[in-house]
Amino acid sequence: MIGFFICQCGTNISATVDTGKVAAAAAAMRGVAVAESIQYTCSDPGQATIAEAIRGKRLDRVVIAACSPRMHEATFRRALERAGLNPFMLEMVNIREQCSWIHSDASEATRKATDLARKAVARVRHHTPLLARKTAAVRRALVIGGGIAGIQAALDIAAAGIPVTMVERSPSIGGNMARLDKTFPTLDCSSCILAPLMVEVKQHENIELLVNSEVDDVHGYAGNFEVDIRRKSTCVDEEKCTGCMICQDKCPARAPDDFNAGLGSSKAISIAFPQAVPLIASLRKEHCRRFNGNKCRLCQKLCPAGAIDYGQEEAVLRRSFGAIVAATGYDHYDWKASYPTYGMGMYPDVVTSLQYERLLSASGPTGGRIRRPSDGAEPRQVVFVSCVGSRDESVGRPQCCSVGCMYTAKQAVLTREHIPDSQAYVFYMDMRAGGKDYEEFARRAQTRYGTLFIRGRVGKIFPRRGKLVVMGTDTLAGDQVEIEADLVVLATGLDASAGAGELARKLNIACDRNGFMTEEHPKLRPVEAASAGVFLAGACQGPKDIPATVAHAGAAAAKVIGMLARGELEASPMVAAVTESRCAGCFKCRGVCPFGAVEKARLPDGRPVARVIGSVCRGCGICNVACPPGAISLNGFTDKELIAEIVEVLKPDVGYRTLDFG
Amino acid sequence: MEDLISAIKKVLEQVDVVLGWARSEAAGVAAPAFFHTPAEAEGAIFDSTCVHNLAVHLPRLADKKAGIVAKGCDARSIAQLIAEGIIKRERVTVIGVACPGVIDVKKAWRCFGFGKRVSDSGGQVAMEGKTVKREEILLRKCRGCREAGPVIRDVTVGEVGKAPAAPADPAGIRKRFAAMSFAERRQFWQDQFSRCIRCYACREACPLCFCRDVCTMQAHEPGWSGGATNSSQSWMAQLVRISHMAGRCTGCEECERACPVGIPLMLLLEEQNAVVEELFGYRAGSGTEAKTPFLTFDVNNDSWEQER
Repeated sequence: MIGFFICQCGTNISATVDTGKVAAAAAAMRGVAVAESIQYTCSDPGQATIAEAIRGKRLDRVVIAACSPRMHEATFRRALERAGLNPFMLEMVNIREQCSWIHSDASEATRKATDLARKAVARVRHHTPLLARKTAAVRRALVIGGGIAGIQAALDIAAAGIPVTMVERSPSIGGNMARLDKTFPTLDCSSCILAPLMVEVKQHENIELLVNSEVDDVHGYAGNFEVDIRRKSTCVDEEKCTGCMICQDKCPARAPDDFNAGLGSSKAISIAFPQAVPLIASLRKEHCRRFNGNKCRLCQKLCPAGAIDYGQEEAVLRRSFGAIVAATGYDHYDWKASYPTYGMGMYPDVVTSLQYERLLSASGPTGGRIRRPSDGAEPRQVVFVSCVGSRDESVGRPQCCSVGCMYTAKQAVLTREHIPDSQAYVFYMDMRAGGKDYEEFARRAQTRYGTLFIRGRVGKIFPRRGKLVVMGTDTLAGDQVEIEADLVVLATGLDASAGAGELARKLNIACDRNGFMTEEHPKLRPVEAASAGVFLAGACQGPKDIPATVAHAGAAAAKVIGMLARGELEASPMVAAVTESRCAGCFKCRGVCPFGAVEKARLPDGRPVARVIGSVCRGCGICNVACPPGAISLNGFTDKELIAEIVEVLKPDVGYRTLDFG
Repeated sequence: MEDLISAIKKVLEQVDVVLGWARSEAAGVAAPAFFHTPAEAEGAIFDSTCVHNLAVHLPRLADKKAGIVAKGCDARSIAQLIAEGIIKRERVTVIGVACPGVIDVKKAWRCFGFGKRVSDSGGQVAMEGKTVKREEILLRKCRGCREAGPVIRDVTVGEVGKAPAAPADPAGIRKRFAAMSFAERRQFWQDQFSRCIRCYACREACPLCFCRDVCTMQAHEPGWSGGATNSSQSWMAQLVRISHMAGRCTGCEECERACPVGIPLMLLLEEQNAVVEELFGYRAGSGTEAKTPFLTFDVNNDSWEQER
């Protein structure tokens, strides 16, 4: 007994589809006991009508012609369940997005809706009840990345009483935010608001912090991930090091200063920055004299804690987790190769925005005084160039970095604050100031701080008489502009951080065309990755400013808490299943499964067959296609159901014989 | 022949069984033989009457260590089976042989009379006094052979190494077929498949059709193709089989050779192989580590969206 309910969706559907006519046609279809047109099926009275029909007419399966199943399938499944039916005895037909909204001819749209209804009725006859399965979940979360996103996610998860392991590949947490001077639009000191959170991570009883560590390999599935974490050798015993910095002071080997974005220099053994958490030294072997053929053992001799161990080896820890949060953040785009007209890095006074942050920062290489790198002079004319490697099709990077406009305005403001008689110029494409108080801030940069905004791209930067000449277009004035600058700051675009793609492969999740990790749904599931149990936090999913990152990370944490709070996971029953008697044991399914959900099993007679781990399977159906004998099928999408649909939809005009090659 | 026999004997020291050919008493050509002992191996032969692709037996011997005498085309099947993980490389020892091309038995019988025993010596195929040049009755695949020798081999018998310069479409069949209109082609296949008796010899002879008892061509459930011997259902069933061969068919032509009613199955398979080679740059059986396009899925290489 099939119940057929068609939704008018106010006028969304009924304006183009004659729902009464479709219901009448459905009433005549084989097995249909009830066919009704309802104004709003998803409303309480609408659902009540369905429940009443299920009980009154003893329906055992239901077809609902309404909006996309993405929208309300879950709603109607629950309605069926409340009325005492198995929730998977439902078939939804999308006659809104795929019919009424895209057609204008009412009679044609009605005919199409009827065809779609017939197809669904044919299919629902083959539905079988499915039961959701429950599996136990490990109550521990892994957070990959120790920037503001990872910190926020870890603190939120830990606050709910769920243990967290945070893995950070560099010697300190803090990420990019720790390198920023002030933050827009409030001009809070970045490290002043970040440092307390970093310390809290270190001290939190529910957080295990592993720095100098990377995720090596990921096995398992949602609720039961097995993760290998590689702890790199830094030649420093983390337990013993007190962060006294004697080793750094005395180390004779200079090394590049990564934290200061290449400005200034550091030592082979060093603490990345004064607020580093954990405050421990680490040794970079590639720059150390001892590891390059010399006899130097200065740090070991001088260390009062005896923390230096040159023989320290890499170690791989294996841990179990119920959920994983990727919070790998971003890197600035390396502009040099793509912008030959900006000097390709030949001019020391053309710096990136991140380098400029370090020049502004009191903990930076210049102690917070703006000094240009070439001669240490204080610049008077500073030119900012927006959208370097963003919104630029000519270098193949159409995406917006989403933070460049605002941080450039901020840096212009700070320039005037540092050097009152300086003048800042900003070449911009469009001023994107969409956040709360952002527009007011950008406006203040012009009015109060006298920044000159010039709308246009910079064509060329070249040196002339100790200055840098910036040539560009003022598209509003329709004129060429030439500015003699002391310092040029490039607002470089953002990329997913190095190695994010490799990590995504280990986590079995996809990356978009710009290399950022892909969320499951751009609007409704913004923190869930396509692999169950994996969540995204912050800029690894796409460029974000700090408030958005914190909000995103908090959302990811909430999802992790929601998932692990109950201790067990309910998995969708719409997963692949193997009919063992028909399995040839070729394991083609195993080869194509993107989630590693197929395992080898043996029947009692020794015959090898495929078996699906239901809690890992995401129901994508690829194995169905690969299986030569058709032994593996997707619950709720069996070949039988699909054949019934195809046969039905081909019936009236062209006939089954077309499919049959007759 | 002595080289082959001693090679088989040597291989037999390490494996349970060696697949090869022996002179047949009943059939017109050589017969597949399983050699278990050195004494049995004395009967091994190899000439242009050794038409069969013995790789078809390997999946069923997966639990044994097996040796196999393989022509160039047979070796491709073995390589593809290994690449798909159906058999294990370490369990199979390949005795690669230099192949002069094998004869089309149906043609031979047309020359000499049905079922007659045919022998091959020195480029001449002979029977009861009648002889014919080997080149004149070679199988179509041999006339278009591009093999420089068996792609995988542990032991080599004879001189292999140079790829014959063969035309891509020796009999001009594909060219003729391409010139036909859609309606003509449709009619052609309707006629061809009207002869199909659903004996599944095509499937049984195919080394890569390993499903056997659970084959979808015979399945009632879910029933993509009906079981009737009418043109339309036989055609559908065969198309299912052929689509399962996409990126896997090594072109050994065993299905067509085995077909008792002479349906030119290779026409479909060759066309499909050409498309796969063009789209994916993949030729089945090229190596044991090769990744078959349709049996590989990488979430990060699913770049169809970017390419549009």
